[in-house]
Amino acid sequence: MSVKVAVSGINAVDNPGPGVGIAKGIKESGMDVEIYGLAYDSMEPGIYMRWLFKRAFMMPYPSVGEDVFIERLLYIKAHHGLDVLVPALDAELPLVIKAADRLKEAGIHTFLPTYEQFKLRAKDRLPEVAERIGVKVPKTFVVSSYEGLVKATNELGFPVMIKGIFYKAKKAFNAAEATTHFNAIVSEWGYPVIVQEVISGEEMNVVGLGDGEGGHFGLVAIKKLWITSLGKIWTGVTVRNENLLNATERFVRELRWRGGFEFECIVKDDEIYLIEINPRFPAWVYFSAGVGVNLPARLMKAALGMEAERDWDYEAGKLYIRYTDDFVADMEVFQNVVVKGEV
Amino acid sequence: MNRLARLAISDEGFIFDPETGNSYTTNSTGVFILNLLKSGADEDEIVKALVEEYGVDEEEARRDLYDFLEQLRVYRLID
Amino acid sequence: MAKRYEKPVIHRLQMGMMNKFGFASPFGARVRKHIDGVAIDELVERFGSPLFVFSERRLRQKFREVKNAFTLRYPNVEFSWSYKTNYLDAIAAILHDEGATAEVVSEFEYEKARRLGVPGEQIIYNGPYKPIDSLRVAVKEGARINIDTFEEIADLEQVADELGIRPKVAIRVNMDTGIHPRWSRFGFNYENGQAWDAVKRIAMGGKLDLVGLHCHMGTFILKPEAYEIEVKKLVDLAYRIEDEYDFKIEYIDVGGGFPSRNRLKGIYLPPDVAVPPIDEYAERITTALLSSLRPGDYPKLILESGRAIVDESGFLITTVHASKRLPDGRRGYVLDAGVNILFTAFWYHFNVEIDREVQGAAEPCILYGPLCMNIDVVDDRAYLPPLPRGTRLILSPVGAYNVTQWMQFIRYRPAVVLVGEDGKVELIREAESLEDIVRRERLPERLKLKG
Repeated sequence: MSVKVAVSGINAVDNPGPGVGIAKGIKESGMDVEIYGLAYDSMEPGIYMRWLFKRAFMMPYPSVGEDVFIERLLYIKAHHGLDVLVPALDAELPLVIKAADRLKEAGIHTFLPTYEQFKLRAKDRLPEVAERIGVKVPKTFVVSSYEGLVKATNELGFPVMIKGIFYKAKKAFNAAEATTHFNAIVSEWGYPVIVQEVISGEEMNVVGLGDGEGGHFGLVAIKKLWITSLGKIWTGVTVRNENLLNATERFVRELRWRGGFEFECIVKDDEIYLIEINPRFPAWVYFSAGVGVNLPARLMKAALGMEAERDWDYEAGKLYIRYTDDFVADMEVFQNVVVKGEV
Repeated sequence: MNRLARLAISDEGFIFDPETGNSYTTNSTGVFILNLLKSGADEDEIVKALVEEYGVDEEEARRDLYDFLEQLRVYRLID
Repeated sequence: MAKRYEKPVIHRLQMGMMNKFGFASPFGARVRKHIDGVAIDELVERFGSPLFVFSERRLRQKFREVKNAFTLRYPNVEFSWSYKTNYLDAIAAILHDEGATAEVVSEFEYEKARRLGVPGEQIIYNGPYKPIDSLRVAVKEGARINIDTFEEIADLEQVADELGIRPKVAIRVNMDTGIHPRWSRFGFNYENGQAWDAVKRIAMGGKLDLVGLHCHMGTFILKPEAYEIEVKKLVDLAYRIEDEYDFKIEYIDVGGGFPSRNRLKGIYLPPDVAVPPIDEYAERITTALLSSLRPGDYPKLILESGRAIVDESGFLITTVHASKRLPDGRRGYVLDAGVNILFTAFWYHFNVEIDREVQGAAEPCILYGPLCMNIDVVDDRAYLPPLPRGTRLILSPVGAYNVTQWMQFIRYRPAVVLVGEDGKVELIREAESLEDIVRRERLPERLKLKG
C-alpha cells in the first residue's frame, strides 16, 4: 500500500508556493507514495502536473472556518485515503496546528510547530528570539504615525526599510520615499508599520527540519545569487557558513522547533542579523533534496513516526537554477476541478 | 439566441464558449433551461416545461426564469 | 415524480476566483430551525420579524466559563457588568444574579442600574464625562469612581467638601501595551508621568482616598500578552503609590476588551483560530499579578468584560423581503433588518444561518437592510444558495452593543425575547410603536393641519 500524502501551495507561479518543490522531494523519497495536491484556485499549475500529483482537490479557504476545512480533509481521507498532510501556506498553518490532534485521531499525520512556536516567529517577536539565540536584529521601530516615522528615520538615517506588519518591505533612500512607502503600506496593510535599519551584508537563508526535541533532521544554507522583481530566488548556491549554521542550530535547540522552517539572515562579517523566520519550507526547498538532504521526504517520515535520516553533509557550491517551462493540458481536467472540486 | 448554439454544455453544468474562451458553471435547472433556449423555446414554453418537470409553481418558475435570463444577458450570452 | 427544483444559476469562472468552495461551506448554508429548542417559525409567529432572541442558558454558561477562568486562578475577583454592552433589564438582571456588579459610564446607566436594585457600592462609575450632579449621587451612595481627568479630581473634591464625605476613588490610566490603536484619550498617561501627577494631585488635595487603579486598553484585543504588560505596569504603579503616600490600593481594574467569537472584518482567520480562548487571557493576567504582587497581598482584580460574555447569547431573526440581480451579476437580498438595529455590522461578518433546507449551490450575494440609504449593508460578501422570499436568516453573534446602539431611524425597533433555561419564551422588550416615538413631541397649536 502506498503512503498517501497531501501537499498544498501547488501554485507554482511567479510568486511560487512551496508545494511543487515539496512534492518533488517526497517523490524521490524511495518510498511508495501517492501525492495529492490541495489547491485554492482551479488554475493552480500543480493541478495539471499529473506526473507529480496523482490527484488534486479544491480546498475551502481557511478563513471559512476550521470545521469546514477539516471536513474537506476527512472527505479526502474517506474516499481516497490520506496519511500525511503537509500544509505549505502561512494562512493554513494556525488552523492546521490547532487541529493537529483532531487530524491525528482521524489518521492524518502532520509534523508541525506548536502554536506557541508559530506565534514566536511573528515579526514583532523577532528581537526576543534573536536575543535567546544570541544573534542580532536590525534596529527596528514599530510606528503608527508620521511623527513616529520621522523619529525613526532620524534615528536610523537612510537608507531604511519600511515594512508592513505581515507583508511587504520597501527600501527608502530619503524622507520623501519613506513617506511614500509608509503611505502605501498603511493603505494596504494598516498600522503599525515597521521601520528598520538596512544591514549591508550577504543575504543567506537556511532551510531546516526541527525534530521538536532540540535536534534536527538536517539544515541546508544557501546564498541567493539572483532574485526576481518580486524578491523570489531565481538562482542560488549552497554555502557552509559555520556561524550561520551554528546560529540556526541554536534556534532549533532553544525553541525545540518542530517541523520545517526557513531562517532568513544577513551575514555581515562575523555577525548574524535575523530578518525573518518562516514556519514552513520555502519554495526553493527542493534544493535540499537535490544536494542529498531530502527534507520534504524526511518530514513525511517523521510525520509517520518513522526514523528519518539526520545526515546533512551537503557540499558547498552546488547551484540552484530555476527556469520557466510550459506544457499543455486538457479542458477535461479543468472541467472536473471546476465542477467536482477534484480530479 | 444563436450565441447559445456554439456553447458546449456538459450534463454536469460545465459550459465552454469556444469563441470567447470563457467558461461557466450552471446547475441542473440551468442546463434544462439552456437546452430549451437552444432548441428555440420561448419564455412561456420554458415556464410550462419547468412546472411540468419540477412541479414548481408557475409564479416562482417565471420569476426564476427572468432572473436567469438577466444573468445570461449580463454575460452577453443572449441579447 | 417531479425532479428536485433548484433555482437556475450560472456563473462565469474568473481568474483568481476559481474555487468551487470559495468562502462558503461545501455543505451549503447552515440550517438552524431552533434556538435553544424553540422553533424559529414559532418565534416569528408570536413576536414578528425582525426579532432579537437571547438565550439565558448560553448567557449564564458563558458568564460562568469566563468567571471560572479567573476565580480558579486568583483568590479575589470581581466581575462588573459592562452596561453599555447590553443594558436591557432582563440581561443585566441575569448577570447580577450570577454575581456581577455594575459598571456604568453615564448617569443614565447609573440610574438604570439603581432602578434595577443594584446598591451604590456595587457600582463602578467610569467615563470621561461625569456631570457633577451625578458625582454627588455616586459619592453619597458609595459608588466606586474611576477618575478620567484633572477636572474630575477638582469636582470630586468639591463634592467631598459639600457632603463631608471622603470618597473612595481610583484613577484610570492609559498606557503602551504594544497594541494598536492606543486608547490614549481616556484617563492619565502612564509613560509620560501624567498618571503619577494625578496621584500627586489627589494626595496634595487630601480630600479623596485613592484605593484603586483602572485601565481599559481597547476593544476586541486579540493579544493576551498585552494584558500581562498592563497588569505589570499597574502593579508597579500601585506599589509606588503605596510606598510614597498613605494610600492602600485595594483594587486593580483591568477593564474588558476580550473578544467574542465574532468574525471581525479585516481579520483573515476564522474566529475559532484567531480568537484565543479566555483561559489564555486569564492565565496571562493572573500569572502577571501573582508574579509581581508582594507576598500576602491580593488586591481585588476587577474585570469589566462585556462583549465576551453576552455577544454569543444573542441572535437576530430577519426575513428575506425581496431579491434582485445586481448589474455586476451578484444577487442582492432586501432584509427587514439593517444597520439601524445591527450597528456591529460595520465591524463584523456575522454567521448567517437559514431556517430551511434550500437546494442549489452557494453564490456570492449582498444582504441589504430595509433603509432607503446606501450604507445599509448587513453583509457584502455572504455566500448563500438562492433564497426564496420569506426565508428567515438567523444572524449571530449579535448580543453585544446592538440593543444599546440601535437607532430609531425610519423604522420601529423590534421586540426582544429571552429563551429561558426551561425553554419558555418571554418578551423582554416590546416592539416600538408610533406612540413611543411621538410621546415627547409637542406640536404648536398654530401648526396643526386643518382637516
